[in-house]
Amino acid sequence: MLRHAVQRLLMAVPVMLGVLLVGFLLMQVVPTDPATVRAGPTATPDVIAAIRADLGLDRPLWEQFGLYLWRLLHGDLGVSIINNVPVTQELGATIGPTLELMFASLIWSIPLGIAMGTVAAYWRGSLLDRAITAFTVAGGSIPVFFLGLVLIWYVGFKWQMLPFTGRLGPLWTWEGFQAVILPALTLGGVFVGPVARMTRTAVLDVMGADHVRTARAKGLTERRVVTRHGLRNALIPVVTLIGLQIGFLLGGAVVTETVFSWPGVGRLAVGAILSSDFPMAQGTIIVLSMGFIVINLCVDLLYAALDPRIRHG
Amino acid sequence: MSATTTDIAVPKRPSVFALVLRDPAAAVAAAFVVAVILAAVFAPWLAPTDPYDNDLAKAMQPPGSEGLPLGADTQGRNMITRLLFGLRVTLLMGVAAVAAGGTLGAVLGFIAAFYRRLDGVIMRLMDVLLSFPAILFGLAIAAIFGPGLFSVVLALSIATVPLMARIVRGAALVVMQQDYIEAARAQGMSDARLIRRHLAPNCLSPIFVFATLRFGQVILLGSALSFLGLGAQPPIAELGAMASEGRNFLFFAPHIAVIPSLVIFAVVLAFNVLGDALRDALDPRLRV
Repeated sequence: MLRHAVQRLLMAVPVMLGVLLVGFLLMQVVPTDPATVRAGPTATPDVIAAIRADLGLDRPLWEQFGLYLWRLLHGDLGVSIINNVPVTQELGATIGPTLELMFASLIWSIPLGIAMGTVAAYWRGSLLDRAITAFTVAGGSIPVFFLGLVLIWYVGFKWQMLPFTGRLGPLWTWEGFQAVILPALTLGGVFVGPVARMTRTAVLDVMGADHVRTARAKGLTERRVVTRHGLRNALIPVVTLIGLQIGFLLGGAVVTETVFSWPGVGRLAVGAILSSDFPMAQGTIIVLSMGFIVINLCVDLLYAALDPRIRHG
Repeated sequence: MSATTTDIAVPKRPSVFALVLRDPAAAVAAAFVVAVILAAVFAPWLAPTDPYDNDLAKAMQPPGSEGLPLGADTQGRNMITRLLFGLRVTLLMGVAAVAAGGTLGAVLGFIAAFYRRLDGVIMRLMDVLLSFPAILFGLAIAAIFGPGLFSVVLALSIATVPLMARIVRGAALVVMQQDYIEAARAQGMSDARLIRRHLAPNCLSPIFVFATLRFGQVILLGSALSFLGLGAQPPIAELGAMASEGRNFLFFAPHIAVIPSLVIFAVVLAFNVLGDALRDALDPRLRV
């Protein structure tokens, strides 16, 4: 297990370095010179030159990359062109809300998806199965922003039941809880379908296996057969597949945050790109990519922990 | 005619086309897809007005207004015209991304399956690409090249490459085990010819199924990027961009955002249903 974990960690290192390199090169190809921008429109050439030297922009590219990594390790991702706030400061303020939104979306959509998939697989071919399958296909086809706009229009605006703009406080406060409901319904809503679909396939696979027949043959109750022998084994592939779908969720989060003005990393990234705030854009993209690599790594390790065949294989 | 040779009843295998259309949902989806493609292709002839013809006096007219069965958008442009042209841009975006990314992915997949020495390198690289969500490519590329249709197509193409490479490599590895590949090799056929004549044609069905399903996903992702403002820029009519424009006027004129969103939903749904049916018809083993 430990060996597997170390191996996976070592494999993630070059990918992380690659992401950082791409992030660094991103700043090299953009048409704006950070020194000119920072100096302001009235700066004289020697002021710009001084700033260039200060930022290390006059050194060779590989040296700049080293400097960039060094600063990164010290939590320095540069300063926003737009409002002069350190990128790390803005990122620090937005990571929490994004994680909160993802958590609030997963907490209801994963159990619901697993339940729906299990029910569909157990009563395979029934009307219920078909209804659930139709729901999962439709759920995988609906644009996230459409679901969000419909919820805003009906629940938020017409029925005035829930707030629909921004985050009104931490999740555990009443206002904060209310504010997260609609975004979480939107983001989780597009996630239920894929989870149900994967669970259905996995449970169908397992329910045909020998050990399930044995469990039936020894006279266990049907409920015990399904929950202890069927679902439990089906959960291994489901966990992995859900993990791999986190990227999908991240994409949905970017859109959901924009629709609901949720102060998360995704909205920050989109805003930075649209306003050509390159340091901020670079910082958000690096953080999103890194978060993604870490999630993949965790899923992989969790998978190995659940399924002994992987770690020894 | 002698009865001995012709009367043996060979059960005719139904064509893939017939198999797909046997499922009523798939038949409806197929009809809808055909209609949508025709509408997009013939948009300039079908549209009642010019897509950029604005009339601020008619801005945000609700559906059912005189001469505007689906209403007008924020600039007073006819929604029907905008939808037809929007469909055109959205579908073209999908075609471009699936064609470019799919072709590169397929070539890499074939190379990985055929030249086993390169397999490890190519597939590790694909794994790395695969570990990032498409939206991240969309953000990064829009940051570099600036928001626009080109950025979206590029991002979606890159996100499609590793998926197609995996599918093609898997299919090609199975075909490589077949005797006829060995036979063709024994004949002294060149690698390029072998891949073109024997390997590729036998991998077409998974490629086709994947391309259909991917098309729906690409449209969904592309319209989301346009909705964020990273894709098609105004005044270009693109379904996601149209929904984004209508978003700010949701409470006064919901139709401006809702109608394009509904069209995206319907098109993606149709491609997904059709893709699922194609997969079932072409590969019964995958049916669950």
